[in-house]
Amino acid sequence: MAGATIDHLVSVTVFLAAILLFISLFNQTIQTAIVYQRHRNLATRCSDLLDNMLLTPGYPIDWGRMNDTPTSFGLQDPEFTQYRLSPFSLMRLNYTPGSPIYYDKTGQWYSNITMGFGQSLLVPYNEVVNYSYATKLLGTNNTYGFSLTITPILTITIQEVQSNPLNLSVNVFGSGFPLAGANVSYSFLTVQGTGGSGPYPAYTIEYGDALTNGEGVAYLSFPGYDTTQDSYCLLAYAHLNGLVGVGYRESVQYEGSYVVPLVSDFETGTVLIAHSYDVHQGDDPAEIAYNATFVLLSKDFTLREMPLDNTTNTGKIGKINYGYGQPYNNITLSTDNPGLLIITYRKSAQESGVVVMPWGISSVGFPISFGGDVSQKEWVATDTRQVVVNGIAYQAKLGLWDLQGYQVIG
Amino acid sequence: MMRTVEILLVIIIITGAFIISSMFAVLPSPRQVSPLNLRRLALTTLQSLDVNHDLSDTAFRPVNDPAWGQLQVAVSASLPPNIVYNLTVYEVLDTGTQVFTLVKSISNAESLGVETDASTYLSASSNVTFNVVPEKIGANGNGGTLYILNCSDAMGWWITGYTSQSLAQDLYQLLSPYFQSTVMVQSTAQLGQILNGTQLQNETLSNAVVINTLGEAVPIPSGYYASSGVGYDPTAGSYARYCYTLGSRVRQYNWTWVSIVGYPLYYVANTGLFPSDQNSWGIYGMKMVNAAGLNAFLRGLDNQAYSYDNTWITGSPGIVYMTTQTQYYCNYYGVYPSAYQTATRSLPSSIQGTYHLNATTIVFNQVDNWVSGAVYRHSVSGSGNFTGSLFALGLTRSPDIRLTGLGILCDYKPRLYRSEYSAAGTSRLIVLQLGQVGGV
Repeated sequence: MAGATIDHLVSVTVFLAAILLFISLFNQTIQTAIVYQRHRNLATRCSDLLDNMLLTPGYPIDWGRMNDTPTSFGLQDPEFTQYRLSPFSLMRLNYTPGSPIYYDKTGQWYSNITMGFGQSLLVPYNEVVNYSYATKLLGTNNTYGFSLTITPILTITIQEVQSNPLNLSVNVFGSGFPLAGANVSYSFLTVQGTGGSGPYPAYTIEYGDALTNGEGVAYLSFPGYDTTQDSYCLLAYAHLNGLVGVGYRESVQYEGSYVVPLVSDFETGTVLIAHSYDVHQGDDPAEIAYNATFVLLSKDFTLREMPLDNTTNTGKIGKINYGYGQPYNNITLSTDNPGLLIITYRKSAQESGVVVMPWGISSVGFPISFGGDVSQKEWVATDTRQVVVNGIAYQAKLGLWDLQGYQVIG
Repeated sequence: MMRTVEILLVIIIITGAFIISSMFAVLPSPRQVSPLNLRRLALTTLQSLDVNHDLSDTAFRPVNDPAWGQLQVAVSASLPPNIVYNLTVYEVLDTGTQVFTLVKSISNAESLGVETDASTYLSASSNVTFNVVPEKIGANGNGGTLYILNCSDAMGWWITGYTSQSLAQDLYQLLSPYFQSTVMVQSTAQLGQILNGTQLQNETLSNAVVINTLGEAVPIPSGYYASSGVGYDPTAGSYARYCYTLGSRVRQYNWTWVSIVGYPLYYVANTGLFPSDQNSWGIYGMKMVNAAGLNAFLRGLDNQAYSYDNTWITGSPGIVYMTTQTQYYCNYYGVYPSAYQTATRSLPSSIQGTYHLNATTIVFNQVDNWVSGAVYRHSVSGSGNFTGSLFALGLTRSPDIRLTGLGILCDYKPRLYRSEYSAAGTSRLIVLQLGQVGGV
């Protein structure tokens, strides 16, 4: 009788222990399967969300050219179909990596895309679409986080091989391969230290073409040009079989004081011309004269000048100083087409320079990075599309993560 | 002891079950868990390369052309470094059992790995012109004639800026491709002929569409149709009787009478018949019948007895907007008048009940009870058959003749047959197959 009882106790204990062990093991398998399904679902959602962003223009459809806040989020160019994005809508996205800039004279903070000296796009925060608002419009707030990056497919770096006479190398690289045999069409702008309209600096443009070698490098030479005397900038378009990219380089004689263009109003195309000391500080604040020009890129990769509003004393040309009592100037751009605002400036005949601001993100191949911080996330699904922004080839990549976590019971 | 042995047996069985289930529950690789959408990547790559038709241009080049090498460089540069590809171009055939034949294939790897995906892209040769053949109204043997009243002996009114002849010419170009036959009615005498049931060019007379290009005026033939009791009401001293006869003929031949602008049938016009009469605005060869013309027409259309009724029945709702159906057909037929218009002579919706009319096509959204553009088809109660129709655009001057064409097309809905896209030698199929390398 006692033996049977002990047998019963031992067997029940062993059975319960075994059952608990197997429940734990099976549970682990089920957990893994659930996590797999969640990750798979996240990848599908990532693909859908990316298409949703890229294949709809949002509402209003031309919100990129307006000051209104969109009520539906989408980046497609309303004038085209498929994966062609609006260069203006992209301008209105808050650039995540850039440090915000405060301009005291307007009392506003600005979203900052700066690609080097004299290449910047500063958009006031009250005009940009921020990440949290975009997640609400996309219906992903508190459920998914995302990071959208849109970068040019072609990386074009321009380096100085020799300064006098000037020789430049243009390196054209794709995502995974150098672009051999590509045509490089360039616009070489030289700032006139002397001459121009009164004290306002003018510039000259020289156009040319070159071909990249097997390593994707094209060499450009400008005999008679001395970089120690004059400022210049080079805008180079590389194109091969429908793949188009743009690169930019500038060399200026004077960086102590310069002009900083700030977007003020998308609808009217108003841009403020600010003194650099009021925006970035500096060590040589001084009055400078400037000359602003707005150009469009034509089909043959040459620049076509568009008229600017010059009905007031401030505007296309002017002088600007720093500090209180020295107002900023403003100009009005054409809002119909993307282009490039080129502003030459001069303190003296020997101290000149040039800055540019793209009107439409693609004009000098600026990248876009919009969304949340992807680091420290447990699992991020990514997907990629090739897109076109005003003729320039870009790659759009979306990273998506779940904000509700992956914890399962067990 | 037996129970312990039994339990051990149970544990062995469960262990076996776990091992077997684990064998089946193979965990996928991370690449399978979170895959890159290679199909979309391939499609967008092809679209990007063809944004300026460079890809299509290369696809039709000879196989030894240097452009193929450039294409290979462009594809390699476009794709991320961990993506391998195979781009294949096929000629599209339209004969025999073989649909495609290989033209050229380029790749940057011997193998694309175990998992690949592909997208296809159809490109057309730049030499190709595509043709659209419209379905002919009446092709099934029911009507198919378009009469355009282009009467040289009648003046128009509220067609400001145009002549009835220029409008007739525009209508001919816009609508004649959709009809079996289009007949320009060149005089009021010819109008009298068709009212008598006499063909002008061996066309099918019944079930025709008759467009009056004279605006608010309607041409009136001399003789019988202007005579007392047929075209003239001696009691009222009005040619509203002619409008009644016209309505009767529209019902008899099952025509669709089209008024392009303003108040329909407000004047009758014939320069020979009224050489010294003017419409009260200085246009000679025309007499005003006022609102009685439309009322008489509708009574004739509904086979009611004639009576003189000069009650003004139209309204002025102001700005009116196209219906979504009309906007759809704007895209379908490629006719794009402004989506909103000013209406000052809109018919009331109540005429549908009074005269047994059904609005089969509504061009502009109804505002209150005013319908600014609609095709009304007359139907005897319960019969289901249509006997005569009126398409009236109650818009203010000047007329946009595209709205007239659009309204007719919206009602008849002739189909457009587009030429074969994949005709031999004109189309090539580009397939971009992508695979991933590296990682797990």
